[in-house]
Amino acid sequence: MQLNRSLSVLLLMLGLCFHAAGASAQSSGDEKLRPLIQALAGDNFDDTTKAVSDLVRTGDPRVSMILNALGAGDLYVTKADQTVFLGKREGADYAASDPLTGAKLDPVPRSAAEKIKVNNRLRRDIAAAIGGLTLMSDDIAERRSAAEAILKTRDPGSIPLLDQAIAAEKDAGVKALMQQAKAAAVLNSEATDEVKVAAIAEVSAGNSRDALGLLTPLESVGGPVGEAAKAAIASINSKLALWNGIQNIVYGLSLGSVLLLAAIGLAITFGVMGVINMAHGEMVMIGAYTTFVVQQIIRTSAPGLFDYSLLIALPAAFLVSGAVGVVIERGVIRFLYGRPLETLLATWGISLVLQQAIRSWFGASNVQVGNPSWMAGSFDLGLLTLTWSRLWIIVFSLSVFAILQLVLKKTMLGLRMRAVTQNRRMASSMGIRTPWVDALTFGLGSGIAGIAGVALSQIDNVSPNLGQGYIIDSFMVVVFGGVGNLWGTLVGAMSLGIANKFLEPFAGAVLGKIVVLVLIILFIQKRPRGLFALKGRAIEA
Amino acid sequence: MITQWFFTHVDRRGGVAIALLVAIAFLVPLSNLLLPESSPLHIPTYLVSLIGKYLTYALLAVALDLVWGFCGILSLGHGAFFALGGYAMGMYLMRQIGPRGVYADPVLPDFMVFLNWKELPWFWYGFDNFWFAALMVVLVPGVLAFGFGWLAFRSRVTGVYLSIITQALTYALLLAFFRNDMGFGGNNGLTDFKDILGFNVQAGSTRSILFAATALFLALAVFVSSFIIRSKLGKVLVGVRDAENRMRFLGYRVDRYKLFVWTISAMMAGIAGALYVPQVGIINPSEFEPANSIEAVIWVAVGGRGTIVGPIIGAVLVNFGKTYFTAAFPEIWLFALGALFIVVTLFLPKGILGLYGSWRTRLADRAAQKRDSTSQSPVANENVQLTEPQAAE
Amino acid sequence: MFNLPARFIGTLTAAAMGASLALPPAKAADDTIKVGILHSLSGTMAISETTLKDTMLFLIDEQNKKGGVLGKKLEAVVVDPASDWPLFAEKARQLIEQDKVAAVFGCWTSSSRKSVLPVFEELNSMLFYPVQYEGEESSRNVFYTGAAPNQQAIPAVDYLAKEEGVERWVLAGTDYVYPQTTNKILKAYLNAKGVKDEDIMINYTPFGQSDWQTIVSDIKKFGSTGKKTAVVSTINGDANVPFYKELANQGIKAEDIPVVAFSVGEEELAGLDTKPLVGHLAAWNYFQSVDADANAEFIKEWHAYTKNDKRVTNDPMEATYIGFNMWVKAVEAAGTTDSNAVIDTIVGTSVPNLSGGYATMMPNHHITKPVLIGEVQDDGQFDIVYQTPGLVVGDEWSDYLPGSKELISDWRKPMSCGNFNIASGKCGGVTN
Repeated sequence: MQLNRSLSVLLLMLGLCFHAAGASAQSSGDEKLRPLIQALAGDNFDDTTKAVSDLVRTGDPRVSMILNALGAGDLYVTKADQTVFLGKREGADYAASDPLTGAKLDPVPRSAAEKIKVNNRLRRDIAAAIGGLTLMSDDIAERRSAAEAILKTRDPGSIPLLDQAIAAEKDAGVKALMQQAKAAAVLNSEATDEVKVAAIAEVSAGNSRDALGLLTPLESVGGPVGEAAKAAIASINSKLALWNGIQNIVYGLSLGSVLLLAAIGLAITFGVMGVINMAHGEMVMIGAYTTFVVQQIIRTSAPGLFDYSLLIALPAAFLVSGAVGVVIERGVIRFLYGRPLETLLATWGISLVLQQAIRSWFGASNVQVGNPSWMAGSFDLGLLTLTWSRLWIIVFSLSVFAILQLVLKKTMLGLRMRAVTQNRRMASSMGIRTPWVDALTFGLGSGIAGIAGVALSQIDNVSPNLGQGYIIDSFMVVVFGGVGNLWGTLVGAMSLGIANKFLEPFAGAVLGKIVVLVLIILFIQKRPRGLFALKGRAIEA
Repeated sequence: MITQWFFTHVDRRGGVAIALLVAIAFLVPLSNLLLPESSPLHIPTYLVSLIGKYLTYALLAVALDLVWGFCGILSLGHGAFFALGGYAMGMYLMRQIGPRGVYADPVLPDFMVFLNWKELPWFWYGFDNFWFAALMVVLVPGVLAFGFGWLAFRSRVTGVYLSIITQALTYALLLAFFRNDMGFGGNNGLTDFKDILGFNVQAGSTRSILFAATALFLALAVFVSSFIIRSKLGKVLVGVRDAENRMRFLGYRVDRYKLFVWTISAMMAGIAGALYVPQVGIINPSEFEPANSIEAVIWVAVGGRGTIVGPIIGAVLVNFGKTYFTAAFPEIWLFALGALFIVVTLFLPKGILGLYGSWRTRLADRAAQKRDSTSQSPVANENVQLTEPQAAE
Repeated sequence: MFNLPARFIGTLTAAAMGASLALPPAKAADDTIKVGILHSLSGTMAISETTLKDTMLFLIDEQNKKGGVLGKKLEAVVVDPASDWPLFAEKARQLIEQDKVAAVFGCWTSSSRKSVLPVFEELNSMLFYPVQYEGEESSRNVFYTGAAPNQQAIPAVDYLAKEEGVERWVLAGTDYVYPQTTNKILKAYLNAKGVKDEDIMINYTPFGQSDWQTIVSDIKKFGSTGKKTAVVSTINGDANVPFYKELANQGIKAEDIPVVAFSVGEEELAGLDTKPLVGHLAAWNYFQSVDADANAEFIKEWHAYTKNDKRVTNDPMEATYIGFNMWVKAVEAAGTTDSNAVIDTIVGTSVPNLSGGYATMMPNHHITKPVLIGEVQDDGQFDIVYQTPGLVVGDEWSDYLPGSKELISDWRKPMSCGNFNIASGKCGGVTN
């Protein structure tokens, strides 16, 4: 889809170019460009690379479009007479057009043409080449990516171009980026030591990770440049060490919020109702599959709504998982109150049935749940890279927690739930229909597990095994925090997440996890009722 | 004399089970080895090792029933003791391969050779000796259970908290044994065994002997469990199960009783694992999988908790079901297994054994229960509060 | 009361003995040849293995349309070993002893193969194993149609070093035997090529790892020294999706730090939005995008069989296809399904693979394969950017591991040995 869009933009721009430039100049340029374009379809990547640089050297404005098409994999070559054309898949054919003029050609059968292959190295070269060409573009995004491309290639040849661009640049952010790129290119050039030392200062003011990459090779140079590089690296490293700690906390919170999401539904069905709910993970899975179905419907019937798919999936998942929960409660669990250990057995059976049902229905493989655009990508906070999906999950899990607290504390349903779990007989005498409250409580817990599934579908596999991956961790969190206490679940999840992240760099991911488990075992010895133990005689019953 | 002594310690049900197991221990191998294949009573080697495997599971189930059925300790980590016993036996079998490994290294097992280990890690020493390995089969699970139980029971970790930390235990061990650096063969585990005590593990006669040994050990486990349960100690255990605090206030050192039976149970599970490994030919970390331990709990529940004999029936039945269903309905067998668990819990709360034992009384009970079901309160939930006790309100 | 309990215990024996009655021995159908399919249809591995079960059913169906084998129809016997390794051994025994299958196609993980291996050797049957693995094994009764490390890992590293100029390497894997062995081989190989230890970072994660924040940011850090860095991933199945999602979200592009994976194929990418992953690599011996008539034909029939034209194909499917056709050809040549005859005949058998060439069963029971390197495209497919000029023979005993350097395998008579030591001139440890 994106391909098509970029292609149409391209064609449009080609058309504009065509109109803008004089026809005669155009045709003489064509003579020069044709063989070079033909050379793109070389036998190996080296040939193609050479053809790219030849094209760039012509300075023709249309080159950047052609290279864009090449980078996007839209250039094809016929097998018979090796003609290069712009292609677009259309059934068994390619809708073909001329790469230079955009004139429509006869469709080429797919078996009669080959794509001009591009690999990472070539894609880098193309980006750099286009970077040089689009540094003076009118589009700010294009200028930015041009500067970024040069920052990566550090091509000293682009310094004059950059000087020109910096002088003309109005946007401060892009200007800074260009200056960075220039400094990087200077460091890579044969400039004098003084110029280079100044460039080092410039570079180390920017993104520290990139700076480290630029400066490390200079360390061994010696002389004033080497000294300056060393000093800059040392200061960057000390900054990084500080940020490492912050990073561990932030990543820990993020892991903790995933644990919280996975566990919070269980904190209700298990923590509050006392059902050892082995099917909890499957409720999460059902939520994730609901997201998949919602996205599937949106993809086919209303692709424009894709960015809202998660918002639509949230209530859907809550309802679907909640309904399944109510059915389970009414069908099985209500016969088992007072026999908590047997709920383990029955819910284990239920979890097997649900897994197999999903497997029979959707197949055993992963299904694809996409990230809406506002959840894709990352942003920098100081020296920390935070991904949007992680940030939203932190926000989301905390809001779920807050809403749940509100429901329990401020609504009639919450009041009844608390009443029933605290003293069933008394609640019943007061006219509360306890069976309904049980069903709704279980439905609430399951529904919340379902919306956790919506969030987890953004960072994990969506497969019939999804739930199995979280069930043990969820039980650990609830028990560690203290059964029957939502605040305990919150604190438990966050502290386990942070502990895990602080251990991981030292002990490695595997040992770190083992250490956390051992710590939980030891902690329970110290506080046999979890972090936030309920006090009183009744809990011993 | 002996019979009299025997029946003071074992009830009739146990007695019959022991007698049957001893009979199987002799009859099945005889049928396998002596009868011609055409005979309708001939039991093929395939079935001998299959039933042998079921019986090791049954032994694990009996061990679990001892702590869960009679002492109220629901262990979700008994698979760990089973696997540790299995690893101890597996290490012995690995050492027996000697220079017959693919790299012909006289000492190092194959997986150490190609992962570039220079010498045998210290914890592998001694395992070339069968009796040392046999000792470790009970000692390793025993010591782990003792240490774990000593901590947990003294701090009065009970109920679901205990269940979850036993699960954490087996999960941690699972992760640890997965690591190649641990020196237990990583995820591939220990395999390609050649012989045990000089006999080829793949030979029909060895399989028969292993089968007989399993049946006899199971019979012994039934006897030991019955012995414990019918002793004064057993009465105290049941007391602990039903009212732990009351027993404590009566002056019993509850933690010691629990610790004793917990350790014994772990050792039994270790023996089960040790018998399991030569019969299935592999031991790897998947035995530590928490799901395996949960499944063992389910065998006990299906057969009948607190009945000693019931878990044997449960283990054999569930595993037979698994064998049958996975071949007959490979695509949908989980539905059948899942439904079995749900049905058993709903309709056979005391397991299969309980169904026969008390179906009459249950009918009467149910009629009585129906009448006042509305006033029944779930014991476990009563007075559990959502948040901190709100004394101020 | 005494009678009642006795009856319950009767149930136990009845259940045990009932096994022989309830599982009917092989139906006396002499007009068919039975083929066992031993792939997990439930549990953690179902995600990968279910497709191979379908592939086998598809291949058997196709073969029967062509008239079967030796004039008899083939009959598939499907069992579900449920991702449970001991159950694999039990099911293998059941297939061979009870159902009397002529050959078994199955297994995915090394653990499952290790678990059934003794059964196949004891009962002298045949297993066709279609997945890439760590090598260091050669059995008379097993035919390895997936890649050995030299058919995947080493060409991939060579490609990165040459084409991308990679100087720093992250070897990231799940803490399994396969990644450990592959990484050992790669490290020895890279060291031999002059890469220093400080330019190699080895990282292991537990199975099913889902939180990759720290590791991905470590990779980023490791890659920011100015030297071109690449990640060689032996991360196993389930953990890949969250790994790639984290990579994409943290903005690690293939142009900056390419990731080459050995266990990520079309099937795994089906669960992912691949737009941010364009350019990351995978090394296999087959891609769905291979431009060959045999492949186009195969995909067409596969879509027709599954009635789903979105169903992807992948490398283990091709390995299954090759293994199955080799077995058919060997059975036809031997004129019987008897294991000994087929095992002797099959070495040297050549059948077309799906990339337009031929695969030959070598005396070490591994096959010849081309090595392809593909870059992820935004449609979940791979663009092949490199192909080895010739075929590569699977090397069961790696030359880069200390113990196995001197071993070779040749199952032809008179040597008939899976681990012949060329230094000592003796057949390793196998007694028979």
